[in-house]
Amino acid sequence: MRIATSTIYEAQTAAIDNLVVQQQLYGQELSSGKQLNEPSDNPTLIAQDLEVRASIAGENQESSNIQNASAQLTTVDGALSTLTDIMQSAHSIAVQAGSGFTNSTQQAALASQVDTLLNEAISVANTKYGGEYVFAGTSGGSTAPVTANGQPVSSVTFNGNSSGQTEQLFGGESVQTSVTMQQAFNYNAPDGSPDIFQTLITLRNTIQNGTVISESANGVNSVNTSLTPATPINTPGVLSTALTPDGAGNTSIVITSPQTGSNGVTVTIPAGSTMPAVLAAINAVTAQTGVTASFDYKSQRLSLTSNGAFQVGDTATTPPGGAAGNFVEAFGLQSQADLTTTVSTQLGDIDNATQAMLSTRAAIGGSLQTLSALGTAANSQVVNDTQVQSGIEDADIAKVISQFSQTQTALQAAYGTTTRLESKTLFDYLQ
Amino acid sequence: MSGLASFFGLGLLGNALATFQNAADITSDNIANVNTPGASRQVVDITEMSPVSGSPFADANISGGTFGNGSIIESVQRIHDNSYDQLFRGASASQNYYTVEQNQLNALQASLGEPNNGISSYYSAFQTAVGQLVDQVGTNSTSARANVLSSAQALTQALNAASNTINQQQSQVMQQASSAVSTVNGILDQIASLNGQIRASTAVGDNPNTFMDQRDNLIDQLSQYISTQTSVQPDGSTLVTVNGQALVNDTVAYHLAPPVVGVASNGAPSFKIDFASNPPAAANAPGIPLGSGQLAAFADLYNNKLTVYGQQLDNFASSMANEVNRITQAGYDQNGVAGTALFQPIVSSLPISAGNIKVGITDPSQLPVALASTAAGTLVTSMNSANNTVDTSAAINGYGALANPPGAGGTSGTLSVTVDGVTQNFNYNTNTTDTSIDAFISDFNNQHFGVTASFNASGQNIVFTRDPVNTDLVHRAAEGSNPPTSDFTITDTPATGAGILSALGASGINGVNQNSTNAFGANDNSGANALMQMFSSNVGVPALQTSVAGPIAAGSQTVALPAGVNNVSVGDVLTVDATPGGGAPQENVVVSAVSFNPVTGQESFTANFANAHPGPVSITSAQTQTLGQYYGNTVSQIGTDAQTAISGSASQTNLTQNIDNVRQGIDGINIDEETQNLIKFQTAYQATAQSMNVLSSMLSTVITSLGAGH
Repeated sequence: MRIATSTIYEAQTAAIDNLVVQQQLYGQELSSGKQLNEPSDNPTLIAQDLEVRASIAGENQESSNIQNASAQLTTVDGALSTLTDIMQSAHSIAVQAGSGFTNSTQQAALASQVDTLLNEAISVANTKYGGEYVFAGTSGGSTAPVTANGQPVSSVTFNGNSSGQTEQLFGGESVQTSVTMQQAFNYNAPDGSPDIFQTLITLRNTIQNGTVISESANGVNSVNTSLTPATPINTPGVLSTALTPDGAGNTSIVITSPQTGSNGVTVTIPAGSTMPAVLAAINAVTAQTGVTASFDYKSQRLSLTSNGAFQVGDTATTPPGGAAGNFVEAFGLQSQADLTTTVSTQLGDIDNATQAMLSTRAAIGGSLQTLSALGTAANSQVVNDTQVQSGIEDADIAKVISQFSQTQTALQAAYGTTTRLESKTLFDYLQ
Repeated sequence: MSGLASFFGLGLLGNALATFQNAADITSDNIANVNTPGASRQVVDITEMSPVSGSPFADANISGGTFGNGSIIESVQRIHDNSYDQLFRGASASQNYYTVEQNQLNALQASLGEPNNGISSYYSAFQTAVGQLVDQVGTNSTSARANVLSSAQALTQALNAASNTINQQQSQVMQQASSAVSTVNGILDQIASLNGQIRASTAVGDNPNTFMDQRDNLIDQLSQYISTQTSVQPDGSTLVTVNGQALVNDTVAYHLAPPVVGVASNGAPSFKIDFASNPPAAANAPGIPLGSGQLAAFADLYNNKLTVYGQQLDNFASSMANEVNRITQAGYDQNGVAGTALFQPIVSSLPISAGNIKVGITDPSQLPVALASTAAGTLVTSMNSANNTVDTSAAINGYGALANPPGAGGTSGTLSVTVDGVTQNFNYNTNTTDTSIDAFISDFNNQHFGVTASFNASGQNIVFTRDPVNTDLVHRAAEGSNPPTSDFTITDTPATGAGILSALGASGINGVNQNSTNAFGANDNSGANALMQMFSSNVGVPALQTSVAGPIAAGSQTVALPAGVNNVSVGDVLTVDATPGGGAPQENVVVSAVSFNPVTGQESFTANFANAHPGPVSITSAQTQTLGQYYGNTVSQIGTDAQTAISGSASQTNLTQNIDNVRQGIDGINIDEETQNLIKFQTAYQATAQSMNVLSSMLSTVITSLGAGH
């Protein structure tokens, strides 16, 4: 076969060109450490590479959000821990006040302590994290969510809302990052039980003023029913403890207080009365008894309030000699209404609010655990994804070095061949 | 001896000297052209001169045979094999095609900056910024909000830059193609002129070897630009055609017109090259089929690469804007003002595209992140009765744990949900479908009204939240071009009983518009949560939500879209006749053809429909992939195209070289060979000259011995 002279040179040039290009490519891989420097380097993996890169960024972001959410929930938990202490103090003050061994000076001191606790509770409710009020729901803004009314505080106003806040994480999980006023302070509770502020205000007033309350210990309705203003109280099944009426279907109670003398005042409640009728009947004799009645339809509790001790009793049904009625029992009242029993009812409210808060704290603990697990998962996902990315992008340095050397050797050989080819032709021997 | 026949043999030797002299000249010419592109080696065809016969001085003693009269060059042959030319030109066209593509696509890849500094990294940074906003503290932080705006801005600028790069590359392609067309026209002229010279030489019996070399070399050059066919005519001229149309016929060159951007049948701009004519070819006339070569590469780059990438970037931008704006327009900003679109067109009269997108919000507090929720207001109350706790899975008819349970006969009726300018009806019935609160919530949410219901256990209340994520294609199609709204209204029209809202403790919201006055929390991060979900949700690309009057029959049908809706491409997957729950006749169809009517401005697509669709028929992009995946696929396609060009260029370069090596093996010039020839002719020349010397000496002997001096 014959070969044209130009072919020899062209072939050498092409060979050297190719080798230089290859060497440059290997050089680029070595200097960047990457085998994927542009999409054409690996079009099949570039899409996955971009996805993995986005994942790593997202997971790192998730990880930092999780830390932030954990810090926020930890702040909330710290606030609720303070609140737990407050409620425990309130509990022991109530026990002390209800012991019956305190004089008026001591009671004033105890009331003042409760007032301090109340103010502390208000300041806990206005806890901030990162400049934001943690119990304000989503309302935002610079106004503190809880403001106190009156001096001493007679009520509080809540300016926030009860919207919980969740956080959508990169991985698709959604985590709860806030606690509502209702969850933390039993505020506007669905069962109508008093919130922490009201509980403390009532306790303080009770201790300070000797306000005596005989109140239903629990809702009086039976499960799945409720007393409405239109419900006759003798409707079967409405009350958890059914009334035992007399032969005429009436019910009556006797209220005894210092004003009434030892016989007390008998209040007769006709058969088929509704709650408004019951209240009207009791309040009709307030002038004689000093006792005012009210009913909270939300919590389904009856309250009898006076400024001094009083008793409520059931009367014997007619005809005389029959079994005693059971109004007091049916409505869960304390027959002896004095400071001790009042405080003991309020202890129930303190415990109820504390319980609600503690279950919220338990939920926060659960959320923190979840966050911690998610954080760990996000971090290990970052590690995994980084490995995947490295597998796609990183050059196998040892292999590239060896390829680089091979190319270099071949290139040197090509240079050598070219110079030798160029050195001699037959012309050189022509005389 | 034949000496007497040609003046003592001197004539014979004279012929031989001339022959070797000429042969050496041809050899020298070969050596001189060793590096000349297109030069074929020439060999001298030396033959014996015709013998001298019947000479009166012929030796009578010699019988038989003739006296030769030396040698002569019969012809100078051009060694050339035409069959390799065609192979070479095919490979060369292909090589040039891939090399042009490689250069352009490499430049494009480099300017896109993937995977390190491209749009994907800006998109990822945008996602990270939204991730910071999701955090409650971030929601209200000016810096986190500003970061979302600035990262969105960086993303739009990257999109603008990429779109700009593609536009620039398209104009570069046009310029390069223009200059290539001038070169081609010059080559055609030269071929035509050479054809004339070759024909004239051939007519007088010459071998116009050099002209033929030049012509073949010019056709070689032509093949770098365009795929041609050649045929040598009997008169020696070469007919050069492209796809059957003459480029050069004898001495006439048919020039190409500079490239123009015409209109393809689908309305897209289309690069094409026509023959120069007056008047020029119509814009929608098909151009010359270019085959391979640089011109075909320019056409392919313009029509099938750059335009397509540009379209995909536009789709990415418009779809992203559509999805993000759906969320921001459904929210409220920090001051309770109804949200605006985050991404807006730069030129407001044109639709959003990669080159026409900007961030429309500058004040961080105006970033709409809060979604309306009844939880933030006071109109919804606890639904439980007294100290009961609601079991959401319990049958609700007569359920005593509810403050207002439906009676034993249940309640039924219609909830009208108004959002995004669309009112859709939800029929409830506590006897059949919505027997429990859980059933109601799931049933309601499955309608994807853009409002989501949930039960708040600690507050024992129902929560209705504006939820732009919870909108399906039915809602989108019904929404059409209405912008999303931040507020919503739910109206209960009971048919029997007191209605479901009453049972749920939500009668306060009945018919009441839920908006920033009664359902708004400035610190709400639900909009940011929705944006986070957007990043991982499958979306429709391009942004297409429209409907046609219909009906559409089953089978392959062509459907005209409303005027102005013109972003459908071949291969797009469309969801047709979106139906609640997604059952038939809803189906996904693949667009097989797109055409554009320039008169009505209407785009039509053709697809094969499995079902018949009574009108009206909604048409939306199928939600098949995330935006990140869509962009990744675009990058992957650019990478694949570039890789094809790179490897095609390498392999075609090799192939071209191999074919050329074989061709050169036949007709190329080898210095060693020519040197040998030179030596051969030199030696012969020397020997002939020596012979002449001997003859001269012989003649001298005769003259001196027999001469007049004696």
